[in-house]
Amino acid sequence: MLRMPEPDQNTLARRKDIIAAMRDIIPSPGGVIVDDDQLRPYECDGLMAYRQLPMIVVLPENTQQVADILKYCHTHKIRVVPRGAGTGLSGGALPMADAITISMMKFNRVLDIDWDNRAAVVQPGVTNLGITRAVEHEGFYYAPDPSSQIACSIGGNIAENSGGVHCLKYGLTTNNVLGVEMVTIEGEILRIGGKGLDQAGYDLLGIVTGSEGLLGIVTEVTVRILRKPETARALLLGFNSSEEGGNCVAAIIAAGIIPGGLEMMDAPAIKATEEFVQAGYPLDVEALLLVELDGPQVEVDYLIDRVGKIAKDCGAVYSRISENEEERLLFWSGRKNAFPAIGRISPDYMCMDGTIPRGRLSEVLTGMQNLSKQHGLGVANVFHAGDGNLHPLIMFDANKPGDLEKAEAFGADILKLCVAVGGVLSGEHGIGVEKRDLMGEMFTTDDMKHQERIKMAFDEDQLLNPGKVFPTLHGCGELKTLHAKAVADKFPDIPRF
Amino acid sequence: MVDVLSPTTPDQLRDAVGWALGSETPLEIIGSGSKRAYGHNVQTNAVLDCSKLSGILFYQPEELVISARAGTPLAEIKAALAEKNQQFHFEPGNFPGLLDASNGPDAGTIGGLVACNIAGPRRIKVGAARDHLLGFEAVSGRAEDFKSGGRVMKNVTGFDLSKLMAGAFGTLGVMHTVTLKVMPNDETSATVIVACSDPRAAGKAMTLAMRSENEVSAAAWIAPEDAPHLDVPLAGEYGSGLVVLRIEGPQPSVAWRADALCRALADFGECHEVPESHSHSIWKVVADVAPFAAAENSDSTLWRVSVPPASGGDVCAQLIEKAGGRAMMDWAGGLIWLQVPGSDIPAATVSAVRDIAAAAGGQAVLVRASGELRKTIPVFHPENPALARINAKIKENLDPHGILNPGRIAPISQNGEGA
Repeated sequence: MLRMPEPDQNTLARRKDIIAAMRDIIPSPGGVIVDDDQLRPYECDGLMAYRQLPMIVVLPENTQQVADILKYCHTHKIRVVPRGAGTGLSGGALPMADAITISMMKFNRVLDIDWDNRAAVVQPGVTNLGITRAVEHEGFYYAPDPSSQIACSIGGNIAENSGGVHCLKYGLTTNNVLGVEMVTIEGEILRIGGKGLDQAGYDLLGIVTGSEGLLGIVTEVTVRILRKPETARALLLGFNSSEEGGNCVAAIIAAGIIPGGLEMMDAPAIKATEEFVQAGYPLDVEALLLVELDGPQVEVDYLIDRVGKIAKDCGAVYSRISENEEERLLFWSGRKNAFPAIGRISPDYMCMDGTIPRGRLSEVLTGMQNLSKQHGLGVANVFHAGDGNLHPLIMFDANKPGDLEKAEAFGADILKLCVAVGGVLSGEHGIGVEKRDLMGEMFTTDDMKHQERIKMAFDEDQLLNPGKVFPTLHGCGELKTLHAKAVADKFPDIPRF
Repeated sequence: MVDVLSPTTPDQLRDAVGWALGSETPLEIIGSGSKRAYGHNVQTNAVLDCSKLSGILFYQPEELVISARAGTPLAEIKAALAEKNQQFHFEPGNFPGLLDASNGPDAGTIGGLVACNIAGPRRIKVGAARDHLLGFEAVSGRAEDFKSGGRVMKNVTGFDLSKLMAGAFGTLGVMHTVTLKVMPNDETSATVIVACSDPRAAGKAMTLAMRSENEVSAAAWIAPEDAPHLDVPLAGEYGSGLVVLRIEGPQPSVAWRADALCRALADFGECHEVPESHSHSIWKVVADVAPFAAAENSDSTLWRVSVPPASGGDVCAQLIEKAGGRAMMDWAGGLIWLQVPGSDIPAATVSAVRDIAAAAGGQAVLVRASGELRKTIPVFHPENPALARINAKIKENLDPHGILNPGRIAPISQNGEGA
């Protein structure tokens, strides 16, 4: 069972004073939420298995209010949970009983579009798709596209370093963000990065991106916008085994082709989605590849042809090319609805998010089938084949006693398998609370302590989003102590000159 | 006498740092030493030479990943990639050649490349070394092993310390292993050349090109006096400066986009398409900043000014006006190389360059200068004080006794502070 830091009784006892202080900072009606029924919508994020009512929710409207709130929390040692749109899948915005949840959803304005520098400056509560909506009339878009893009906020994307289906070609959030304004727990307003490509000092923008709300609260974001490709076409390719499908992916890349999207689904996922949306997927194949090429028309036509030939050489038993935009979107509709499709055939499902070296795919899928038998639960797989990010969907019934625990154990085994073949625990959903206790599978205590030391540089009192990412929070004193074992005598074996 | 420690294994590296920590002996950390003159001089009695931590650990072209010991020569890695028709997409040029005439092409190690976060012309499209470092293993100033990231390109497991290590100049930890993303070479490329001598007009042309839908992968401007460096038959005939724009990809696409780009830029001046055979040499000149190489420019000072790309043309013109010398633009104006005559320049020039860069929201780094000048002014652009405080804490937490490359980024001040 998930263990969170014990609530601080002293803070709980001061709740009334804290509410009054928050109302002084945010005078607008509705800016400070204190009643249980109104706190209820904030009790979880996209990871609904874990719930906790926050002590208070505040909705600041400007950077100064965020600074004042954090300064107050720092002075009075009150814990803070930052929250964007609440779509996160790893519980990064899971509230705490003694913490103020700071919702950033009133920061919803697009501030400036700088076409000449191909940059958009937006507030963190703007949705991912909202950025594209704001620039598409000039033929631009924002590249990272997590599947929740209609709802998720760019601030949350920064916190989680969100991905999407186009990462192989266009990168993750971290490769597409140019700068942020961020407030520290001390209430200091920092500007990190900007429209220029270099910044003085250490790469703080790089470390803030993906820090899951543990380092500060982002109040403004500058992102790179790209010209929308002239056109895009997709191929559906069916194979008799996931191994052949994986080999085809390798062959496409070996030919020097980097598709905009490169997705794979296994037989259970194909069947479930086809029954749900009738995308026209073949039901007699073991693996289905969805390859999307984007760019100028001449390029797309040329590459579609080349990929088609490569697929044939790799033993594709099914091949279909989208002939128009409608058909391309139909191809995608299956993949994009894979999660709800599984939700239709199973009362509940748990979505995992490991990444593996692509070449180990068939081995991992076989291992997963064995685990499925062992745990007695079904699993369907959708796979960002281009970048190795695997989304096994574990099917279970939360109303059945013991099923949730079984699913959690199965999920943990899958992630351990990913790490064992050279992969990682999370490709795009983040660690949050969900994978927190598995961090030790990938990192040594020293590895994690070095990460925590970065945390210490920003938030020495560990007030920002406690209980997330790190399984154990080491005290500041312990992190600062030098271990005697490290201090060696001059080692005789080292060649010296 | 300077003590040189040359560990051959990661364990020996940890022991070497452990000894330095125990005896409070600051270390200068070097690979091959090719970029030793970048940043401030590190004056220590002990040198940690990482060049023996060498060798490619694995290279899987179909997985687009290479992992090597940090001291592996860049030349060895580039050769391995070339054999499989692959490359580092961030296109590192011969940066060491700007620092010291004795550095040959492809001088340096992979660890040094990452530690200095080097990037070439394609940065405007694909980023720098930081964007391609998938993971690392290192020893911190606490003499403890630590690692971050991995070997896969989509990974959000824990804090992204790789970003921090890229560009930290070895001041936070000594990397012994780095794993990077690689990409296939493009099928072909073409370069569109526009005759343009005025940097302001050149800036506008590059901005227009980047805003177009032609997926320009690099955009640079060469001044009239440096245009002959481009090994293009056309260059000499122009007698003018040149805007050069690169298009890469599959053959039919490159031809189509190059034509479209030429049409779009017709108003800026005479426009030509250069075929692939010459395209490569042009971009090598730009990546290497060949006109300002140390070999031919010994008595000069070289600045690297980074600003928002669209303001580059204007900033470039101001810099030439106020500081004198010659300039070249890369990254569609986002990077300006400014070479000022004399290896020791007046303080007024230094502040003029820094002020112009800062006013445009950018920064100026002194890449090549006399040892005297590098002692008296900060080589790197002064950090914003609030960020500097956080940077100092990060340094203190990872290297509490300040034994790793002390003073490399910021000169040691009177009271002993500095990273």
